[in-house]
Amino acid sequence: MEKIIDIIFSGLSTGAIYALIALGFVLIFKSTGILNFAHGELCMVGAYVCYYFATLLNIPYLISFLIAIALGALLGALIDVLIFRRLVGEPIHATIMVTIGLASILVCFTGLFWGHDTYSIRSPFIGKTITSGNMAFSLSSLSTIAVSIILFVLFIVFFNRSILGVALKGTAEDSDTAGLMGINVKKMQMLAWTIGALVACVAGIFLAEQSFVHTGMRHTGIKAMSAAILGGMESLGGAIIGGVVVGLVESFAASYLSGMEVAGFHFGDIKDVTAFVIMILVLMVRPYGIFGKKEVERV
Amino acid sequence: MSSNFKVSYREDTAIFQNLWVKTWMAILILLMIVSPFFLNRYQLSILNEMGIAVIGALGLNLLIGFTGQLSLGHGAFAAIGAYSSALLTGKLGIPFIISLPFSGLIAALLGLTIGIPSLRLKGLYLALGTLAFAFVIEYILFHWDLTQGDLGMAVKRISVGPFQIKSQRQYFYFIALLAVLAVLFTKNLVRSKIGRSFIAIRDRDIAAEAMGISLAKYKVMAFGLSAFYAGVAGCLMAHYNRWIVPGSFDISLSIAYIAMIIMGGLGTVLGSVLGAILITGIPHGIVYIVDLIKGTYPALSGFIVDFKLGIFGLVIVGTLLFEPAGLAGIYRRVKIYWKTWPFKY
Repeated sequence: MEKIIDIIFSGLSTGAIYALIALGFVLIFKSTGILNFAHGELCMVGAYVCYYFATLLNIPYLISFLIAIALGALLGALIDVLIFRRLVGEPIHATIMVTIGLASILVCFTGLFWGHDTYSIRSPFIGKTITSGNMAFSLSSLSTIAVSIILFVLFIVFFNRSILGVALKGTAEDSDTAGLMGINVKKMQMLAWTIGALVACVAGIFLAEQSFVHTGMRHTGIKAMSAAILGGMESLGGAIIGGVVVGLVESFAASYLSGMEVAGFHFGDIKDVTAFVIMILVLMVRPYGIFGKKEVERV
Repeated sequence: MSSNFKVSYREDTAIFQNLWVKTWMAILILLMIVSPFFLNRYQLSILNEMGIAVIGALGLNLLIGFTGQLSLGHGAFAAIGAYSSALLTGKLGIPFIISLPFSGLIAALLGLTIGIPSLRLKGLYLALGTLAFAFVIEYILFHWDLTQGDLGMAVKRISVGPFQIKSQRQYFYFIALLAVLAVLFTKNLVRSKIGRSFIAIRDRDIAAEAMGISLAKYKVMAFGLSAFYAGVAGCLMAHYNRWIVPGSFDISLSIAYIAMIIMGGLGTVLGSVLGAILITGIPHGIVYIVDLIKGTYPALSGFIVDFKLGIFGLVIVGTLLFEPAGLAGIYRRVKIYWKTWPFKY
């Protein structure tokens, strides 16, 4: 029983991060039609900036967290203005390759500024645990889950109750019609990139708190894509649920399958591949995801 | 030369359209035969890498550029080719001349099996599916005793009967021969019924199906053919480097192949060749420049990995923003400009 609670807890804390990243994917994809392969790199940049302010400049954790997500949001807006504003409506291979190119540029600059070593953020949560009964929960995972839930609630309120959020949803639904209704579509697309990058930075900082700050963090971005696919690329709520499901499955697979050996095949590091197996299964069975709508195509 | 007057269909579909093209092709072939005698080992090794890349890029261009099926997992097909040839020659002792086509065929078989489920997927979803597939293959190679994981595997030299390929020059002739054959085969394929069906599917798949082109057949065929090229390229890579680890066939190889065909020009054979040469050449160019100025700025050599990544990214973003047709597009524009000079068109 305790083992299962432990697995669920660690699954939820990873799942919250996947959900945050997937939220950014879906938001950007819905409003601009671009699947951002540089999302993991945005997480990485967020974590590095937070590390720079919190550990290297010795600024209090909360302030450096806020600075990092503000700079991340700025970076998102900048990326949209400089690159992706020109690419809306381009064929899919072009937009995917531009995001991949952008990803290598981001890794290049991170490497030039901070090097390729492994660092850790000086945060009040790291290494502390809360014990209840004979269970121990790490404080950084608890804070990840708590802050993610707060963010999700904020997002739901923002998208359903504020003018800006409804306009953003309208742009995502149908950008042409939204333009006719007097919504500034370009501004909304910039807003989508800004929010997407901001959420990615939050996810990156939490990810770094649970492990370390290093350039390999960026691969989490690709894994989170399976969360977005599972929930349906069109659905924000689906991204959150997809993220949690992928996190839980990964956690269960890691604790029950690791160390198994079948005919010379070792199931080690199962966490590296679970998300991709889920992605393949979803694509084979239900490509439009749990909450997505099936596309009807006309010639 | 600027005349485009044809009297028969045969002339219109000819590979070498006129005497001008034939002359240049002859000069190119002559250069390829003579050049190994003037180049040193390092320069020849760059040419060999380019030749292998040309084969892989041609295959991927058939899939993405001609059929319009986006694959982000081509590195996995190359890995299959490399590992199957390494196992066939190493464990079973099969001669290279048989294992080369077999490694391509095994990769093609896998490509066919990937092609069937991906009939339901399009565009973005297909890209993600192939990406996930590539990660799963990489995981299997890392964790299977047969492939020895990250310890890597030693691969035998290429040998045909008693003759063994040892020097860079011999490798160059062998790889160049295969690359030329691959180019000729692709050129012929794309002007055949199959190639034109591919193009029809790319332009509008539903319309193509309405005209009687079997989507399932040609999409799966494109996957299989493309995987065959990648498998052969992977096999050559394995026997050329003589050491393989799963890490050398990861997503960065898939991305490099896509970069090649996008830089060169999608849907053109010339583009795949030019793109492969360019993308393989860029890292060597960066190393060359850093070596030149290392005396003045010694700190630079520590950043060479970052420079390679950053310049690669900048080149891709720049091309797609400012010249989406790639090198083949630039070539066509320059040619038309000089043909019609001093008039605009």
